[in-house]
Amino acid sequence: MTIKYLAQDQLAAFLAHLAERARVVAPISEDGVVLFRNWEPGRQVDLEVLLAKQAPKEFMFPQTEEYLKFSYRMDTPVVDESAPPAGASDDGQVEAALPHEVIEVQAENAAPAQIIFGLRPCDARGFVQMDQVFGGYGGFYFDPLYNAKREATTLLAVTCRDPRSTCFCTAIGGCPAGHEGVDALFTQVDGGFTVEPLTEKGEAATDFAALRDASEGEAAEAAEVKVQATTRVDVPFEIDGVRDNLKANFEGTSWQDLCLRCISCGTCTYVCPSCYCFSVNDSLVETKGERYRVWDNCFNPTYTLETSGHNPREKKVNRFRNRFSHKFWYYQDKYDSLLCSGCGRCIMHCPTRIDIREVLRVMGAPAGVPEAAGAASNSAELPATDGKEA
Amino acid sequence: MAETMSGAAAGKKRLTAADVVPGASTARAGKLGGNPYLPEICTVREIIQETPNIRTFRLTFDDPEVQKSFSFLPGQVGQFGVFGVGESTFAITSRPSETEYIQFSVMKAGEVTSAIHQLSLGDKAGVRAPMGCGFPVEAWKGKRILYVMGGIGSAALKATIEYTIEHRVDYEGISILYGATAPENFTYQYDIDQWQKRDDIDLTLTIDRECDGWQCDVGLVPHVLERMNPTPENTIAITCGPPIMIKFALMSFKKLGFSDEQTYTTLEKRMKCGIGICGRCNVGPKYVCVDGPVFSLAELRELPDEL
Repeated sequence: MTIKYLAQDQLAAFLAHLAERARVVAPISEDGVVLFRNWEPGRQVDLEVLLAKQAPKEFMFPQTEEYLKFSYRMDTPVVDESAPPAGASDDGQVEAALPHEVIEVQAENAAPAQIIFGLRPCDARGFVQMDQVFGGYGGFYFDPLYNAKREATTLLAVTCRDPRSTCFCTAIGGCPAGHEGVDALFTQVDGGFTVEPLTEKGEAATDFAALRDASEGEAAEAAEVKVQATTRVDVPFEIDGVRDNLKANFEGTSWQDLCLRCISCGTCTYVCPSCYCFSVNDSLVETKGERYRVWDNCFNPTYTLETSGHNPREKKVNRFRNRFSHKFWYYQDKYDSLLCSGCGRCIMHCPTRIDIREVLRVMGAPAGVPEAAGAASNSAELPATDGKEA
Repeated sequence: MAETMSGAAAGKKRLTAADVVPGASTARAGKLGGNPYLPEICTVREIIQETPNIRTFRLTFDDPEVQKSFSFLPGQVGQFGVFGVGESTFAITSRPSETEYIQFSVMKAGEVTSAIHQLSLGDKAGVRAPMGCGFPVEAWKGKRILYVMGGIGSAALKATIEYTIEHRVDYEGISILYGATAPENFTYQYDIDQWQKRDDIDLTLTIDRECDGWQCDVGLVPHVLERMNPTPENTIAITCGPPIMIKFALMSFKKLGFSDEQTYTTLEKRMKCGIGICGRCNVGPKYVCVDGPVFSLAELRELPDEL
């Protein structure tokens, strides 16, 4: 496939061209925080901060997503007066209630075309991982909400030239220049980007006059950038065996030490490119209402609280264990995929500096090793920045 | 990754919009319904006050085509709810052969169940069904079935009991042990009266404490079960009830010599989506809403202890 080249000073023109036919989303600095936001001519794309504070998950799986609208008619309901069958007990105790005459239930699922520019290969891989659960992999249900947006979205990723100390994508099968889920890969080189369309969607999005074929020198520079970036990503643990070891260490006492400073805030789940748990709620104002889903957080004590008062994951340690087991054991068993792409956002944004790499080093190691390794310290040290502690 | 290839080799695949029926609910198109979040509108046709806090609701699908084609397996569940308040998962308690209505028995406990209890005849409600896996009633043919249940646990087993009674000749025997705290807390009294009249169903009723006019057993379900001393030979034991009752009933089964393979229960968990996505009803890698709610003890043994 031909590698193309886009000059830096043509980026705005390129995005403006894309914006003519779709919503364009890019990392944009707002009050000092870089987030994926709607791009419009005049807005500066920020690729300096490697990772936007949140993954672009919300554009496929919005934080709050209305999916049903309904309305009631508030007049006298039609009463069915058919007699109860013989043997049925008297229902005379049933008190009168407000009329519940639903007159309309309408499914909602808006998915206009959108292009996400400037996400990283780990962000794109997060979508590929979530595709499994939302796509009913293995004989389950197809989620029309996620898939409509997924279908309407083009992902234009940018290679991570300068991986951060918290990145660990290569440890779990990813790459700073990874192709998984990426429609076209942009790599920053001298004066601009090399552009590799990888899918039909990517071809369509990069079909723009200002893109010329890359010179051999530019292509070689991009290749070198990728190699350099890849070698700089830390491999903080050995992924082979993590699933089996998590299973073997399910009752391990180190979970207790590891979760001690967790405050169940759920930040890790909200910034994660592949955490997808949600809650469903209804709202009703007079006669009109909607049903919507909203991101939930498995650290929330009420997440699994049953009406009876029973809670299978009442203790913090159980909820903590569930998140890591879900990502590296349960999800793999069910969907043949990990549920982590190694972006390290959870490490960067955890207010108590809980480090997924440490959790996996300890609980993902063969049984017996964790205690010996003594790695489950409760110190609030900064996450390890270098070294290959496998 | 290697795992993905092995999954694909095993015939596992991801669905696309082309694989499903666009916009169809589960009741219309089963698992290939393109919108499993879409409830079918139903009308409340009959309300039966089972106990002071349990009511049974008989509903018909507003679309006669859906009502006509609707079918489910004994043990399967459905999402039943009130628009504007929410929906919850309940066992379908109608007979699997019933074509006129779908039935749920609901104990008033929380927000959604309280709203359901406010429903009157003719009111509209939403139903997403059937969901989950039922009991392997086909594979049990030729065996004796022993039902051990307490309180509202009867709802989870009702359809299965009715199914095995309807297909009585296919099963060697049917025994039902049903316990409640007090005589007024038995559900389906009208059906119990029918079961009592039959000599091919072995029915034992028990209440926690003695009370005036009570003719049947007295004692907690696990104790009565051990007194009954049923033979594990060619028998399938199924239990459902309050968690504490299930726990002790399972211990009693073990004591009586029942293997994990011949002991079944149906689990309850907090659920939202009902289709294995929202994430909260998992026990290890299994989701109660899609992989259950029916599990054999042998299957549960493979799962982390996080019930």
